[in-house]
Amino acid sequence: MVLYNAQTNKMLVDEIVDAHVLVIGSGGAGVRAAIEASRYGSVVMVSKTIAGKGGCTTMAEGGFNAVLREADSIEVHREDTLKGGAYLNDPALVDALVREAPERMADLVRWGAVFDVTDDRQVAQRPFGGQRFPRTCYAGDRTGHELIMTLLDRLDATDTQLYQEVSVVDLVKDEDGAVAGAIALDRDGSPVLFSADATVLATGGGTQVYDVSTNSAAGTGDGYAMGYRAGAELIDMEMVQFHPTGAIYPYDARGRLVTEAVRGEGGILLNARRERFMERYDPARMELSTRDVVARAIATEVLEGRGTARGGVYLDVTHLPAEKIESRLPVMLEQFLAYGVDIRREPMEVAPTAHHIMGGLRITPECRTSLKGLFACGEVAGGVHGANRLGGNALAETQVFGKRAGESAGKAPARSGKVDSAGVDGVLRVLDGFFEGAASPAAVRKDLKLTMWSQAGIFRTAPDLRTALGHIRRLADQRLCAASTANLLECCTVRNMCTTASLIVRCALLRPENRGAHVRRDATVITEPAASPFSHTYISLAREGIEQREAAA
Amino acid sequence: MKTITLRVSRFDPAEDTEPHIEEYTVRVNEGARVLHVLHAIRDEHDPTLSYRYCCGSGQCGSCAVKVDGKPALACMAEARDGMTVEPLDLPVVKDLTVDMEPVIAKIARICPAADAGLPSRDEIAAIKPLRDCIECLCCVSACPALQVTEFAGPTVLRQEMRLALDPRDSGDRIGDAIKKGLFYCTTCKRCTEVCPKEIDIPGKAIEKLREVANRRGLTLPRHQEVARLIRETGRSVERTQPTFLEQVPEVIEPDGPVRGEVGFFVGCMFNGRVPQTALDAMEVLKRNGIRVLVPHDQVCCGSPLIRTGQTADVDDLKKRNIEAFARRGIRTVMTICAGCGATLKNDYDTPFEVKDVTEILTEYGIEPPAKLEITATYHDPCHLLRGQGIREQPRELLREAVREFVEMPSQCCGAGGGVRSGVPEEAKALGLMRDEAVKATGADVVVTVCPFCEFHIADCTDVPVKNLVTVLLEGYRKKDAERQGSA
Repeated sequence: MVLYNAQTNKMLVDEIVDAHVLVIGSGGAGVRAAIEASRYGSVVMVSKTIAGKGGCTTMAEGGFNAVLREADSIEVHREDTLKGGAYLNDPALVDALVREAPERMADLVRWGAVFDVTDDRQVAQRPFGGQRFPRTCYAGDRTGHELIMTLLDRLDATDTQLYQEVSVVDLVKDEDGAVAGAIALDRDGSPVLFSADATVLATGGGTQVYDVSTNSAAGTGDGYAMGYRAGAELIDMEMVQFHPTGAIYPYDARGRLVTEAVRGEGGILLNARRERFMERYDPARMELSTRDVVARAIATEVLEGRGTARGGVYLDVTHLPAEKIESRLPVMLEQFLAYGVDIRREPMEVAPTAHHIMGGLRITPECRTSLKGLFACGEVAGGVHGANRLGGNALAETQVFGKRAGESAGKAPARSGKVDSAGVDGVLRVLDGFFEGAASPAAVRKDLKLTMWSQAGIFRTAPDLRTALGHIRRLADQRLCAASTANLLECCTVRNMCTTASLIVRCALLRPENRGAHVRRDATVITEPAASPFSHTYISLAREGIEQREAAA
Repeated sequence: MKTITLRVSRFDPAEDTEPHIEEYTVRVNEGARVLHVLHAIRDEHDPTLSYRYCCGSGQCGSCAVKVDGKPALACMAEARDGMTVEPLDLPVVKDLTVDMEPVIAKIARICPAADAGLPSRDEIAAIKPLRDCIECLCCVSACPALQVTEFAGPTVLRQEMRLALDPRDSGDRIGDAIKKGLFYCTTCKRCTEVCPKEIDIPGKAIEKLREVANRRGLTLPRHQEVARLIRETGRSVERTQPTFLEQVPEVIEPDGPVRGEVGFFVGCMFNGRVPQTALDAMEVLKRNGIRVLVPHDQVCCGSPLIRTGQTADVDDLKKRNIEAFARRGIRTVMTICAGCGATLKNDYDTPFEVKDVTEILTEYGIEPPAKLEITATYHDPCHLLRGQGIREQPRELLREAVREFVEMPSQCCGAGGGVRSGVPEEAKALGLMRDEAVKATGADVVVTVCPFCEFHIADCTDVPVKNLVTVLLEGYRKKDAERQGSA
């Protein structure tokens, strides 16, 4: 199939790839989806990085939550997840997560994953915040890396065709309005069209829209923006998790994740006066309270003048045996040593950092989005984590919903309609426009990130959010300039970042209450999470609003 | 904020025939990494600069580049004023972006058996040190064997061992490892030196794979010959002349007052093949007041067996050597062979301290020799530089002994790891690269402190190769001759 513009008879793209299932994204969810989908037909996976090197799965340090012991139960994992999520989670999605996480963990072990094990040959588990049982499975503090390497081994045993360093820039539809694939740019900036019966969006998150973020460079929210432009509905985009402990030095590496495993293994938080301040915020759970609570506690200490000179607090493991630090937290030890801090002898300095977007494309438990032909899984999907994600539930989510999305997409019927060439033409025109733009993508990106951090961060107010939205819209209206064909992608990325940022801010304005990670300093409605009258915020090209709960839970 | 000026290799295959260097000056924050400087160039000077990066925290292995010639992760290496940033030694796609996929494709995938269960805690503990690899390919860029052979690369062999250790895997890892060049590794440890995760690939993968290969009868015939010799004679080289041990008493008293005392581990090469150098070393020690105790019942250290995976008899050798020195109450054992020194330090658990001759001489301080009227360069023996972390001491001594000392980039000569005997054509090719490097310095003499390096480089260059102790002794003789001349 070669695609021509009917009016000009000009060939639109010079490379076209057909498959039964197209998977966009090569993180934990995408690779798991491709593995599953390959059981049903041909699969193409498109990765904007070298597979295994992109996204945030490979950076995930702490662990994978799964109920594996008699003393633990699926029911308790469900309750912990719902409570941690301030009861905003979609219960059906939580149900799938907690029920299937153990089976997905078993898949990984069967496929060769090197998780830590106990003396009696069971997968070892450590305590994580907000959970009543130590159910977080781990491979030292490089759990995500272990997971992705194992998945890539398994993927290699399938017939999946892999396109690496090829970046999807927009979804395309067929004449019936179903998602029919995607258009991408290769490393040189040449367009490639992928057409498929079913498309799985597994593009991960987007907290790179914030100035201080744990995300890899790939975490630019492309999936939210592409889904939105294609007409999909997103939910709860205001729910951005600020991880309590990000590094603050050196400045250019600010935000770098300091894993929750540090606290799981016994690390304590101290302010500049060396007070263990969590006593004042959550005396029962202390450092292992949920992330929203700990992040706000640290931010409050700093705002009220009890932070360090660099604007953080101390995270201290010097009371732990050096051997434990070396074996359980080797990546942390190595990273801090590289920056001149030996965490066996001196405390780390940390501050909150934008980590995870709980919101995303609205999905059913089968990972169907509101668009025909489009499935979503992993961080790009919303609803699993509600208003706050528990540490260790994201890796589990990638596997549970990656498999579900792959299976649903694999079972999808053949699509009959032709790819809508006007849509492709539209994308190509946008790309061409970047050659005539004037604004520097680097400058827009920097401005956007600072705006989001200062006006849509941990503590929010309506006036700030409105100011931010106005500014984001002005940034989005700037005509970005591509310095070369290879720079087209950068323009697309910055455009996606502007879109993702605006979705976050618009949803933040839609939710008048404080809930989980979303704190409105000007909240007029005081709600208890379990009894809140509000449910999801929703946003799409067609509509936006906040759902009212039929009956309080 | 601070200002950094750096040089960056640029190459656009669409326009350039070869890479060229561009200089940039940028403002960055205190503590900035190389990656942040590249971002500053891209954002402020040239948006077309091509380089790969992703996680920014040393976990994804995307951003490796050469900084002043040494591979490193751009996101972790601190930026330095005046640095040069170049792509890894892999095919360049554009600027600093290299083609990583062909190498990554060689890294084996696990083939789990259908009934595979969870490994035990001990099995996991054995696998873990080999599992930290982030496939950044620093090791592949830096490995000397790759420059002259079809060696698949250190991390590729690392993965074979990782899989060989996993009870779930069903592949033929030894067969694969041999095909991928198991016997090409000189165990020079350059890979470990540049590895951001400091994975000891030679020690934990190569030598272990060679051990498994040995148990399956797949050791190279030339290596089996060496093992037979050690089994029969306790030595890894044939006796062709009176040995060092046959020529010296058990105690060698110094000329003047006793400033110190060391036990001397001579090693097979110095004992049997180049005893004169060992005798030269004794002269230097005598002159500097150091009493030398030489147990005559010492044997081969076992290095040739460990490096080639033939470890069955190694424990016996270790026991004999430790006893020979411990029984005489020796507290410090001196080696003058880099290979023996590294083996005693890293593979033995000794009740005594082990030091290289250059450590002993610099710690005690030596009588200054007369400077020889030569320009000398120094070849770093791998087992001294990386095996023992000794870099400055030999240079310090050499500077005292010659008119002019010139540096030469350090690289393995090709003799180690059983390569000189097992894969002579590889050893020769690497040796010839040393010849080029020596010639480029313009030195009259190349000095080293390892008998294997000395022997091998001498085979590959027409520039004279000398041991450092011989140079020192020549300096003393010159000094004595000058004194006599003036007296």
